[in-house]
Amino acid sequence: MAATHTERAPLSPLAPLKGLVDEFLILFANIGFAVSLFAVWAVLTLIGVIVDQNKGADFYWQNYTPALARIVLRLHLDNIYHSPAYISIIGLILISMTVATFRRVIPARLPALRAVKIDKIPLHAEFTVSGDEGDVRSRLERFFAERGWQIRKREFGGDEWSFIDKHNWARRGVLVAHVGFVIIAAGTTVYWATGYSGQFTVLSGNTATIPQTGATVALQQFGYRIDPVVTKSGIVYQPIDYVSHAIVTGKDGVAHDAVIRVNQPYDIDGVKVYQATYGFGITFALTENGAPVAGVPTTPLKEGEGFTIPGTSRSIEYRSFVGTIDRQTGQPGTDPRPNDPGVTIQAFDGDKPLGQALIPLGTALDLGAGYALTPQKYTLYSGFQYRYDPGIPLVLVGAIVLLLGLCISFYFLPARLYVVVTGAGRSWTVGIAATTVKGYEIFEDRFREIVAALRRVEDEPRPSAEPAPVPASS
Amino acid sequence: MLDPLKVAIDHNLVVISLTAYVVGTLVLIGYFLTRSELLKRIGIALAITACALQFIELGTRWNMTGVWPLTNLYGSLSLFSGMGVLIFIIFAARYDLWLVGFGVLGISAIAFGYATTWNEGYMPAVPALQSYWIKVHVPLVIASYASFMVAFVVSCVYLLKLYAEKRFGSGPALRASVAGAGGNFSVAIEQSALRTSMETTIARTETPHIQSAAANGDAFAIWLAGLPSLARLDMLTYRIVAVGLPLLTVGIITGAMWANEAWGAYWQWDPKETAALVSWIVYAAFMHLHTRNAWRGERTAWVSLVGFATIVFCYLGVNIWISGLHSYKM
Repeated sequence: MAATHTERAPLSPLAPLKGLVDEFLILFANIGFAVSLFAVWAVLTLIGVIVDQNKGADFYWQNYTPALARIVLRLHLDNIYHSPAYISIIGLILISMTVATFRRVIPARLPALRAVKIDKIPLHAEFTVSGDEGDVRSRLERFFAERGWQIRKREFGGDEWSFIDKHNWARRGVLVAHVGFVIIAAGTTVYWATGYSGQFTVLSGNTATIPQTGATVALQQFGYRIDPVVTKSGIVYQPIDYVSHAIVTGKDGVAHDAVIRVNQPYDIDGVKVYQATYGFGITFALTENGAPVAGVPTTPLKEGEGFTIPGTSRSIEYRSFVGTIDRQTGQPGTDPRPNDPGVTIQAFDGDKPLGQALIPLGTALDLGAGYALTPQKYTLYSGFQYRYDPGIPLVLVGAIVLLLGLCISFYFLPARLYVVVTGAGRSWTVGIAATTVKGYEIFEDRFREIVAALRRVEDEPRPSAEPAPVPASS
Repeated sequence: MLDPLKVAIDHNLVVISLTAYVVGTLVLIGYFLTRSELLKRIGIALAITACALQFIELGTRWNMTGVWPLTNLYGSLSLFSGMGVLIFIIFAARYDLWLVGFGVLGISAIAFGYATTWNEGYMPAVPALQSYWIKVHVPLVIASYASFMVAFVVSCVYLLKLYAEKRFGSGPALRASVAGAGGNFSVAIEQSALRTSMETTIARTETPHIQSAAANGDAFAIWLAGLPSLARLDMLTYRIVAVGLPLLTVGIITGAMWANEAWGAYWQWDPKETAALVSWIVYAAFMHLHTRNAWRGERTAWVSLVGFATIVFCYLGVNIWISGLHSYKM
């Protein structure tokens, strides 16, 4: 007797992997999972808003409680937007969006054309009309066609059903929004891959070079306007204008006059140069027993720069420019304009701070041991930001596509009406039900309007099949 | 030199519109509590008057100084309160939403009152704000904030009714009704009425305990039953957020375009930018959740509340307490 057995197909070695992939796809297409990623993204972003970013470790130790500073530094919350966690969450969102797009959004086609139980659909109505069947059907068809509905007919169980749709194309709104988001991500990637940015400062009369392109910016003059404005709290010195007059030379070697203002960047070979900051460079003179000391910088120093006093362990740092010294208090005044200017300096012995002083311009400060320091004059300098970002057009397109997708999704409601006419002779019952992609409530008012309008049309007196009697006189 | 007459007009417009907001809030609270038609009419009149006067005041300020009046927190908050009431009026007129007007006018009155504490007078714009973008970016963003404020008030009323329903009863019937509010509601066409009068009214079975208590003469329940249905409040929140989110999106986009022109980068991770991104994420989550029947209603109402909290943080918290490129700190 031959043994009988069922032969099973050999299990593919990739079967476990397939199961894993399926689980991955199910998870990443899940809306709840996407919203969870959104929540994590929001929390990480919020941390970056609250915790100061891109400061040195000293800053956190000085300004935060020790425990908090430790947490910030240990968890790298000081540069959270470029942390692996943050980039990963954006990556996961992009993956989730892509999977959801292919598994949910793109397959979301029109609902099948099939008969339904009208009274089981929450939005439904039923009413009787009279007339020939053909007339009733053509009136219904005309009613919806005139209002922009698309009509398709099918017969089920001897009844003719009309499937009447509006804004079907709007079912793709979410897809459009997702595509926009991906385009934005692509645009930012283009910058990451090929773009660059940087800052530089130029003293009036000097020239700076953009290292990536070799373009030069020769600052002719920097100008500012700060006006005193009377407010309820007193006089406020309000900046009105910052402008750099420069000569820029690009790849073509031709010098161009450039006026660079805030909100008005200058384009050099695709690299945009922006007015960012300004300041007062100070030329210092150091003397020892009245004789100039060699080795002190002869060019103006900018805020934060300094020099070591030759032959000593001591150094001087130029801290800040004071536009107007309040002569009554000897302290910096509120007017930032250089009416009675001075500078604050900080002296160090090695790394050890020795003291700070405010010195009026042109006045010597006795440093001890025969040394005297004189801030001689100021020279305005301008600070620029430059950036080459070929991804901007892509980001802009992505933003517009994203917005378009949002508007399609929110403002156009794909709706399906199911209409069936049953009855006999000249008495017919019209059953009508509605479904939408966003539930029933959102369409309730509109459905009521449609039914009421339909009812009005049906109630209108229609010419009889037999000619009406002609009045004797009109 | 400013025209003293215009200065006086400007000052009086501020006083009158703020007074109208406060009185309108009180009147609409009265309407909310009593459903008096007279109070409703007076409240509507006051809301429209206050809103119109506020926009006239901003226009007067612009005309007087030649500076777009949104360069400081006073102008911005002033526009926020006016825009909030304007958006509310549009929605209320379309969806008969006047019952929640007390909340919108109340928040607008507080915002406008607070704005006056930041009114330093008439100041020229700093260089960064001397751009045509201020006329596009700021109104868009403020309009989105105002929309979310209206959505917040509607969500509050939703939660008030929902938790009142929970207090009036518990058990399986309630659970069904709560799920119903989320869109999976056990609606039933009043078929007899439908067949006879052709009215397509969805019978509200989502708050059975309130209805039952109202039938027994409970005054609070009767009052609650007069509020819009939970499903309608949820739908209105969705519709208002559907206005606010695209506005916020355009606001962020135009802000990025302006930043690209002023600061050299369309995105700098400035606290304001990132706080706006947080709000955008929360409302995007709201929209995603709203696509699921099980999440509509209570959960999305709470997300709306969280969303508005992020808006307040983004709008005032970041501008006042956190240093950044949008800081108002002097």
